[in-house]
Amino acid sequence: MASGKNVIVKVEDLHKAYGSEEVLRGISMEVTEGEVVVLVGPSGTGKSTLLRCINQLTMPDAGRVWVNNVELTDPSTDIDKARQHIGMVFQSFNLFNHLNALDNVSLGLIHVLGMDKKTARDKALMELDRVGLKNKAENYPGQLSGGQKQRVAIARSLAMEPIVMLFDEPTSALDPELIGEVLVVMKDLAVEGMTMICVTHEIGFARDVSKRIVFMEHGDIIEEGTPAKMLTNPDLPRTKQFLGKISELH
Amino acid sequence: MFQELLILVPYILRGLEITLSVTGIALGIGLFFGLVMGILRVYGGRVVSRVVGIFVAAIRALPHILLLLIIYFLIARIISISAFWSATMALAIISSAYQAEIVRGAILCVSEGQMQAARSIGMTHLQAIWHVVIPQAFRHAIPPWSNEAAIVIKDSSLVYVLGVPEILRQAQYYSARTYKPFLAYLTVAAIYFLLTFATNRGLDALERRIRIPT
Repeated sequence: MASGKNVIVKVEDLHKAYGSEEVLRGISMEVTEGEVVVLVGPSGTGKSTLLRCINQLTMPDAGRVWVNNVELTDPSTDIDKARQHIGMVFQSFNLFNHLNALDNVSLGLIHVLGMDKKTARDKALMELDRVGLKNKAENYPGQLSGGQKQRVAIARSLAMEPIVMLFDEPTSALDPELIGEVLVVMKDLAVEGMTMICVTHEIGFARDVSKRIVFMEHGDIIEEGTPAKMLTNPDLPRTKQFLGKISELH
Repeated sequence: MFQELLILVPYILRGLEITLSVTGIALGIGLFFGLVMGILRVYGGRVVSRVVGIFVAAIRALPHILLLLIIYFLIARIISISAFWSATMALAIISSAYQAEIVRGAILCVSEGQMQAARSIGMTHLQAIWHVVIPQAFRHAIPPWSNEAAIVIKDSSLVYVLGVPEILRQAQYYSARTYKPFLAYLTVAAIYFLLTFATNRGLDALERRIRIPT
């Protein structure tokens, strides 16, 4: 079904403050099925906080969030159950350090989805294969490069069969040479129709893969639009200035 | 002198079983409650964490021998328990406070991102603690725990003030009877050294065995 009309993520008037520092000032957005949205903006403008408020790793102060028509901000929602199907990839990978790649991927299958070990192992191997790391299944995080770690982390999320994937600066901690292998995996996912929200400054990825670029600053969405419009002819001078800067860099 | 050792050593070793029991039980019970309190200290919420913190602070502020006496004279008067159990429980309570701090420190060494990653794949808070945080914290905890084990081995000698005949008490009996304190106490010293040394070596080996490959 490629209609892409179902709303997968809906955020309504989201507010979050740390002390007197307002990080999100009433963000609203919708992401439809199969859509790839890239969030850009200067650091400290709430992009990561927005992602983390979507899966409730950070509790918003006000506002509502729905994923797949389930309201996560409703206190009666089983948030653990909801998170099973919201994949998240972190800047610092956060692989489980005491487990090899295979066990990193299968841990959730066994303990969250209740699969038996054999089935979980097969599934985990398949997911590692999908990110090109089947041959690293026995390696521990400390034995993997940054790019490989991030691919394992993506496999770990994918194994849970997410309906949406949240990427929080997935390539920012990587050496320039290793960024490509992660972006390739993300691009493949996008092609397969995965719904994705990505905080990233990889402007090439935004241009080639995303359907929409959202520019955030000071906790607000300043401007959003298709990559073609945002990168060549945005409405606001500030958008042009910022996107121009990062385009130069990448 | 060799002749004398033949009499002295078996006499002192009669207390070895008690020394080992006191140490083992105190460390074991201390580990259980230390683990529970350490986890509560980090994840128990403000009130629970504070209560545990006060308990730990109180235990750490008092000399072990004083706690031993307090527990003996208070608790042994209320419920009927032997001097052995009273003393052992006192040492277990003391050790649990120190072990709670070890567990707390070890948990705090595990980066916050580990918890977040575990929660992001749908694990409950408890599952994340048990399957992700604790296995890593356990590895951080071994060196300080080895230190705590060495302390409890030696603290087991404190039970002698309650008349429990462990090795130091045996040595004291012996020297009182023979007027040869030096040899008796040296023998006990050698036993404590061997126990502590073996324990620390054993834990070093465990630490190496479960080290995460890099």
